[in-house]
Formats: sequence, C-alpha cells, structure tokens
Amino acid sequence: MASFDARALRKTVLDMAFAGSTVHIGCAFSIIELLAVLYRSHLRYPGNDPQATDRDYLVLSKGHGVMAQYACMRELGWLKDEAFSGYFADGSDLKGLSDSRIPGLEVTSGSLGHGFSVGLGMAMGAKLRGTDQKTYALVGDGEINEGPIWEGALFAAHHELKNFIVIVDENGFQAMGRTQDVLRLGAIQSKFESFGFEARTIDGHDEAAIDHAIEQLWASSSTAPKALIAKTVKGKGVPFMEHNNIWHYTRLNQETYAQALAAVAGSAS
Amino acid sequence: MRAAFSDTLVRLAKADPNVLLLTGDHGYALFDDFRRECPAQYINAGIAEQNMVGMAAGLARTGFRPFVYGLSAFIPVRVLEQIKLDIAHDHLPVILIGDGAGFVYSHLGTSHQSTEDMACTRAIPDLSVYSPADRFEVSACMALAYQTKVPVYLRMGKSDRGDVHTHDLSQVKAGQLLQVKAGQAGAISLIATGALVRTALDIAQASYPEASVWSAPFIKPMDSQQVITICAQSRAVMVLEEHSVLGGLGSVITEIASEFAPVRILRVGVQDRFSQHCGTYEYLLKEHGLDRPAVEQRIRDFLIAN
Repeated sequence: MASFDARALRKTVLDMAFAGSTVHIGCAFSIIELLAVLYRSHLRYPGNDPQATDRDYLVLSKGHGVMAQYACMRELGWLKDEAFSGYFADGSDLKGLSDSRIPGLEVTSGSLGHGFSVGLGMAMGAKLRGTDQKTYALVGDGEINEGPIWEGALFAAHHELKNFIVIVDENGFQAMGRTQDVLRLGAIQSKFESFGFEARTIDGHDEAAIDHAIEQLWASSSTAPKALIAKTVKGKGVPFMEHNNIWHYTRLNQETYAQALAAVAGSAS
Repeated sequence: MRAAFSDTLVRLAKADPNVLLLTGDHGYALFDDFRRECPAQYINAGIAEQNMVGMAAGLARTGFRPFVYGLSAFIPVRVLEQIKLDIAHDHLPVILIGDGAGFVYSHLGTSHQSTEDMACTRAIPDLSVYSPADRFEVSACMALAYQTKVPVYLRMGKSDRGDVHTHDLSQVKAGQLLQVKAGQAGAISLIATGALVRTALDIAQASYPEASVWSAPFIKPMDSQQVITICAQSRAVMVLEEHSVLGGLGSVITEIASEFAPVRILRVGVQDRFSQHCGTYEYLLKEHGLDRPAVEQRIRDFLIAN
C-alpha cells in the first residue's frame, strides 16, 4: 500500500534528478505534500488503473513539477524503478515536463496556462455526462500570469463547474525571480473569489490542513468552482534549496546530492 | 456552402450526442438551426479562444467530439500552441473550423484576414488541414473529419462562389485531389483550393480548353502519387490559392514535384504582404493580383517565359 511519505517522495525526486542530471528540483519540492494528500486521500483510480474511464482527473498544469508526480506514480506501481535510474537516458519515456503519453499524466504541459483549460474541459465533460468525477488542476503561481487561466476562470464560474478545483502552488517564485518582483499577483484568493470561485488559503506543506481544506471545499453546497491557494516553499525539504530560485535551474553534483539526501532524511515527516 | 456546413453539423450532432459545438462568440446567424435543434450540445465559450481550444481537448479526452468554431484569423493562428500541444500531440478528435479565411472580411482589415493559416497548421504533426471549395466539399470534409477521428483544421473561405462539383462527394478519401475539369495529357494543369477553384475553372473553360483543373480540398494529407501523376503529365502547373504563397498549397505541390516529378510550377497566391487598403472582396483580390484578369495575365506571361 502506497504511503506517499513526503520524505520518501523527496528522496525519489533527488535520486532521479541526480540520475538524469536535471533541473526543476525546487518546482517539484513545493508540491510534494499537495500531491501526497491528493493521491493518498482524494484521487479515485478504480482498479488502480491510471486510465480508468471513471477516474478523477489530476492535471499537472505546472509541468515543471513533474518529478514529484513521477515519485507518486512510482508508489502506485505505475512506473518501474528503471524509469527512475534511467531518467533522461537516450530513448527513455519520462520527460522533463508532463507528457500525456505517460499513463497517469493527463496533459502535456510545460508551456504554461494549458492544463488549466484542458482540466476545465474534463470537468465540463463530467458535468455533461452527469458523473461524479472530480478534476484537480495544479497550477503554479507564476503560471497564473497566463491569460487562459483567467479566461477559464470566467468559464468555470459561469458554468458552475463545482466538480473542478484549481490548486495554486504559491511558492512565490517564477523562473526569473520572485513573483512579487516580476509581475505582482496581489491577493490570489481574492482574485479567484472575485471570479466566482469558492476559495481557501492554507499551508501547502501541512498535510492535515490540505486534506481538511479539500474535504471542506468538496463538502460545500455551493455550485461554484473551487480554488485552494497553497502557500509553499520552493525547494521545500532541503534547507539550501528553500526559497533559493537557483534550484529552478541547478543540477545536483555528488556533493549537493549527498547533502540534499541527508537533509531530506533528517527532516521532520 | 454555409448552409451545407450548418446542415452537416446539425445532422452529425443529432446522430451523435457526443458532438459538441464550441464557439468563441462567433456564428450569430450561422448556428440558429444548431441552437434550435441541439441546444444542449452548444457551448459559447466567450471571447476566450485559448481557453476554448484547451477545453475542447479536455472534452475530447472525456469522449466528446468537439467542433470548435471561430474566424480563421483566430482559429487557428491565435491558438496555434493549444492546437499543437493540447490537441494534435495526442491525436484528439477535435475539428477546428476557421471561417472567413482569405479576404472574406475585406473591409475590416488585417485583424480579420487570414492568409497564413494553412502554412501554420500544416507544420503541426498529426494535424490534418482541409480547405473545401463548395457545398459538396464542405459536407464531405466534415463527414470525413468526423469519421476518421483525427485532429483536423477545416478552413472555410469565401462561400458564395458557386459549386465546382455537380454531385455528392461522399466517397472522397482524405488527401485526394478532385478533378473538376478533364484535360489532355501534355497540356497545362491548374490545381486550386477553396474559393480560387472557381477562378481556375473559369479561366480554363474560357482560355485553356485542353487544360485539366483540380480542386484540392485537402492540404494535408496529400496524395503524393496523384500529384506526381498530374505533374508528370503536364506541360506546366498553375497553383491557385487565397493564401500566402509561402507554405500553402503551392508549397505542397512544389515540394512533391521538385522531388519526384519536376515541372514548371506557377504559384499564384498572396505575395508575402498584408492588404494595404480595404474595399469589396473583389477589390481585395485585385489588390493582391488574385482577380481573374490578373491571374490570367500571370498564366499567359508564365507560359510565354517557359
């Protein structure tokens, strides 16, 4: 039975990032607890089949965090260990950004502002069919610079897509710096509320709080779409990566890999 | 042609409840029948094309068959990346309709004119590009797009230039060139798409009775063998399109011919320029040298030089 222990997930990310000499570690670390809670307690995959027709949909719109999702998919048995040790080897399947050809990944993202709309289409499809499937779209705070997010927010509210929840990974950074310095977002919760969403803000590393907030949002009798603003730390779990945007781009070497593993192993669960 | 478009859409939607029509707040009178006959299958996504195309991908993923309608200047060019990533990459059966292609919106200027859409869409892997010329072709193209379940961009240009075919085309295969006038081997051939098939036919009937004329309702896929046969049997080939000469039908034919059946080819289209003025459709064709007299002159000059 998969436990989705945050430390184990972070270790998997570090192992694959080191094996593949790849970037975007900070982007993956800010969403570890969010994904752990979703997979553990909320997402329904009948028969543990990532392609079950009546599954819930998890759309990783911020494709840069895909290693965190791979780590969860490994616990579910959807990905083999070789895919991790051979990450980025020539001819391998797992890419550096979400690619929908991998069962379990619903969208091809990385170009930002796409998955949110595709997720809305899935939510609309479920509504039209009258199923109880839920759609979760995980977006970055930098990503909500993109126009289609707000086009879609209007649509979601107008069509009362109460089966749709957008989770904003508010780690405060985007590729070139702090969101505050690049393009101020202001109060994200208020923005979604003004578009007609029912919204909450929580600590995105507090699993109990995440779980509770999602429960509460789904328990609402409102027909509004939902927004969960998760305050997170980019690079969470490894002190020298936390709030340090170079870990959007930096690759691990032997030394930083060892230090990061030690930090993750020693961190509180 | 627009009536055929609407009728076919209504017919497909009534037969299959999974057919949905998404529009970016366009098609005011065009969709009256659809809204009356299939109101639950109609979604006006608002003036928000990027979100609309992404949503169409999500709807297709849940088993629906979306037709996404917009003006050709917006669908596909404004949403090219959504088409590439959200739809074509995963072979989702979404049919994108770009209406008013070419110079249909002759008075409105560059924002509503569309002469680069085929070039843009052609380069996207796994995306088919259809460009019907009359009501028979539009019905056949839509039925084919629906049946084959592949991502399709369907370009609709000037729609009131009359029929170029005389009968139903339900047997047509994707990629096929359709002969609209028989000719003789060794004579010239005219290959055209969309609204300019009418022009090609008029010119051939008046001035080149021995020429064959072909309509190309499919820009991609293209039956290369058929192109090779036509080129091999022709003294010269004239390609006509209400689209840039860069990347459209002229490019398709030339690319195939240059490799397999070299022949002199005149590409008649928009010469890498925006419209400078506005006026009637006929005026705009003239400004771009695509009116019938200008095209005839170019063909004459080309044949004299070659």
